[in-house]
Amino acid sequence: MASISTTAAPKRRTFGELLSSDLRALPVVIALIALWIFFSTQSDIFLTPRNLSNLLQQSTVVGIMALGLMFVLLVKEIDLSIAAIHGVTSVLSAKLIVDYGFSPWLALPAAILIGAAIGSCSARWVNWVGVPSFVVTLGLGLALNGIQLLLLPATARYGLMGTGVEYIAQTTIDGMGAWMTWLIGVALLASLILSGVARRRRAGLEVSTLHGVVLPIAGAGVLGAIVVLVLNANQGIPLPVLIFVSLLGIGGYVLNETQFGLYLYAVGNNDEAARRAGIRVPLIRMAAFAIAGGIAAVAGIVASSRTLGVGVFSGGGVGGGTLLLESIAAAVIGGVSLFGGRGAIHAALLGALVIGTVQNGLNLMGVENEVRLIVTGLLLVLAVSIDKIIEKLTGQQSF
Amino acid sequence: MTATDSGGLENKSLPQKSVPLVSMRNIQKSFGSVHALRGASVDVYPGEIVALVGDNGAGKSTLVKVMAGVHAADSGDFEIDSKPANIRTPADATAHGIATVYQDLALCNNLDAVQNLFLGRELTGSSLFGRRIRRAECEVRAREVMTRMRLGNLSLTRPVGAMSGGQRQNIAIARSILWTPKVVILDEPTAALSHSAAQQVADLIRGLADDGLGIVIVSHDIHHFVVNATDRIEVMRLGANAASFRSKDVTGEMVVNAMVGGNEGVNLAG
Ligand SMILES: Nc1ncnc2c1ncn2[C@@H]1O[C@H](COP(=O)(O)OP(=O)(O)O)[C@@H](O)[C@H]1O
Ligand SMILES: [Mg+2]
Repeated sequence: MASISTTAAPKRRTFGELLSSDLRALPVVIALIALWIFFSTQSDIFLTPRNLSNLLQQSTVVGIMALGLMFVLLVKEIDLSIAAIHGVTSVLSAKLIVDYGFSPWLALPAAILIGAAIGSCSARWVNWVGVPSFVVTLGLGLALNGIQLLLLPATARYGLMGTGVEYIAQTTIDGMGAWMTWLIGVALLASLILSGVARRRRAGLEVSTLHGVVLPIAGAGVLGAIVVLVLNANQGIPLPVLIFVSLLGIGGYVLNETQFGLYLYAVGNNDEAARRAGIRVPLIRMAAFAIAGGIAAVAGIVASSRTLGVGVFSGGGVGGGTLLLESIAAAVIGGVSLFGGRGAIHAALLGALVIGTVQNGLNLMGVENEVRLIVTGLLLVLAVSIDKIIEKLTGQQSF
Repeated sequence: MTATDSGGLENKSLPQKSVPLVSMRNIQKSFGSVHALRGASVDVYPGEIVALVGDNGAGKSTLVKVMAGVHAADSGDFEIDSKPANIRTPADATAHGIATVYQDLALCNNLDAVQNLFLGRELTGSSLFGRRIRRAECEVRAREVMTRMRLGNLSLTRPVGAMSGGQRQNIAIARSILWTPKVVILDEPTAALSHSAAQQVADLIRGLADDGLGIVIVSHDIHHFVVNATDRIEVMRLGANAASFRSKDVTGEMVVNAMVGGNEGVNLAG
C-alpha cells in the first residue's frame, strides 16, 4: 500500500536466517577459537610464531584440495577421485621432469591441465550416462591409483631435489616483501569493494558504509596484518600459503561476482529450475569437476614440493587415505553443504585450519594418530549436523 | 450432481476480435507408452485470460510445457503471430515472448529475488575471471518490475526459500514478465495459496492482461478462480479438447460437468 521508495527498509532477520547467510561461519570460527584456547593451555609451543607458521603451512594442501572440491559440492555432486588426481598428476609431472628432462615450467602446468581434463571426464560420465558422481569418481580414483603405480619407477619414488620443484615449498616472502604482499591484497579487496559501492551509488541504491565497506576492508586488513606479523616473526610468508590465499581470492571472486559462480549455486539448489532458466547445467557441472581436478593437481604440486618427491604415498596413497577424507571434511566443516548450493569460499580456509589445528595440537600434546582421526571424524559429523539444523531453522529445503 | 451432459454443447469455436498471439493445433505428445496429448489445441489472444481445466492427467501441464518449450511436441501445428514456430527448448519459447510460471515455481531457494528474477539472463560485463554480474543494474530493474506489480516492499536480498508461498508465487510471476513477454503461462498459480493470496494473484494477472498480454492459466480452482478471474475456459479430457466456454456465461457446475462428462470406457480406448 505505502508508496514504495527505492530504498525500502530491509526487514529484520531472524537469528536462524542470519546463521544461514551472513553468520554461517560463526559455528566454525567459535570451534576454531575454542580449539586454539584448548591447545594453548596444553602446550606452551602452540602459540609460538614458529608453530603457527607450521600449522598454516600444514593446512595448505588440504585447504587447496577443499577449495577445489567445493565447486563440485556446490553443484550437489561429489568427487572422490581428487586425491587420486592429486597423486597421479604429481607423479606424472615428476616423471616428465626426472625421466624425460622436461622443465618444471612445462610439466607443472601440464599436470594442472591433465587434472582438469580428468575431472571433466568424470563429469561427462555423470552427465551422459547418469551414473551418480559418487560411484564414477570412486571407480575412477582407484583406476588412477593403478596408473600412478604404473608410472612410478622400480624404486617406487621420484626425488625432486635439485629439479627446481623444491623451491615452491622452500620459498618465503619475508620482511618488507611480506608487507608489500599484504598491501597488494588489501588494495585489491578495497578496490573491488569500492568499485561495487560506487556502482550501487550511481544506480541510486542504498549502501551501508559500515557493513559494506569499512568492516570488510578493516577486518581483512587487520586479520591479514596479524598473519603477516606472525609469519614474519618466523620466516615470512611461505609460497604455498600465498598460493592458497590467491586461490581463495580468485575463488571468492568467481563465486560471488560472476555468472558462473551464481550458476553453481543455482544448479546445486534446483537443477531443473536452472535448466528451465536456460542454464546449460551439464556444462556447469563439467566446469565444476574440471576446476576440482585442476586444483587437486595444484595441491599435488605443492605437496610434492614439500615432501621433495613423489611415490606411492602421493595423493594419500591407494584409496586416497586421510588426504581424501580430510579434504572432504575440511570443506564440510568449513560450511559447504553436502546437499548442494550452499557454502562460501572461506569454508575451505576455516575447515582446513580446523583440521590442521587438530593435527598440529594433538601432535604437540604427544597424542597418537588414532585420537586425531577420532576427533576429526566427530567434528565432521558435528558440522554436517549443524548444516542440517540450520536448514531446518530457516525452512530452506535443498530440493 | 445434476445429470445434464453438456459435453458437446459448447464445443463451437468462439468468435474473436483479433489474431491469436499463439496458436497450437492438433498437438500430439507421448511419453513412452503414455499418450499424454491426443490432438490438443489452444489459441491465446492479446488481453485475454484463457483457463485450461481438466481432470488430473488430462494433459494440461503437458500442453503448456510444449508451449513453453520444456517438451517438444511429437506432431501438430504451432504458430506464433500466425507464423509457424519451431519451439524445442525453453530458450526458444522465451525468445518468442512466451514466459512461464511453473507449478513448482522453479525458483532457487538459496538465491535472492534479484538473482531468481534474472536467472539465466543476468546483465553482465566482462572480467578477468569470467562474466561479472552487474548486480546494481539488475537490482534497479528488479525494483522497477516489483514496484509496477505493487510488490515494492518485498525483500530483494533474502533467499526466497525463507519467504511465504504467496511471496514466492509473486516473485515467480515478476520473473516471467521481466523481459516483457507477449504470453504468460501459469500452471496452478493459486494451488498452494490462501484465499486472500489467491485473490492478489488474480488481480495481478488481470493487470497483466489489461496491459495486452495473453495469459494461459492451468487451474483446478473452478468455482472461484476459473469462472470469476478468467475470460475463456478450455476443458481438456484425455489429452484432447472436450469443450470451450466464455467464463461469464458459465457456472462452475457446467465446467465440472464438461470435465467429467462422457468418460465411458469407449473414449478411454480411443
Ligand atoms: N515427464 C513425463 N513422463 C512420463 N509421463 C508423463 C510426463 N508428464 C506427464 N506424463 C503423463 O502424461 C499424462 C498427462 O499429464 P499432465 O499433463 O501432467 O496432466 P495434468 O496436468 O492435466 O494433470 C499423465 O498420464 C501423466 O502421467
Ligand atoms: Mg498438472
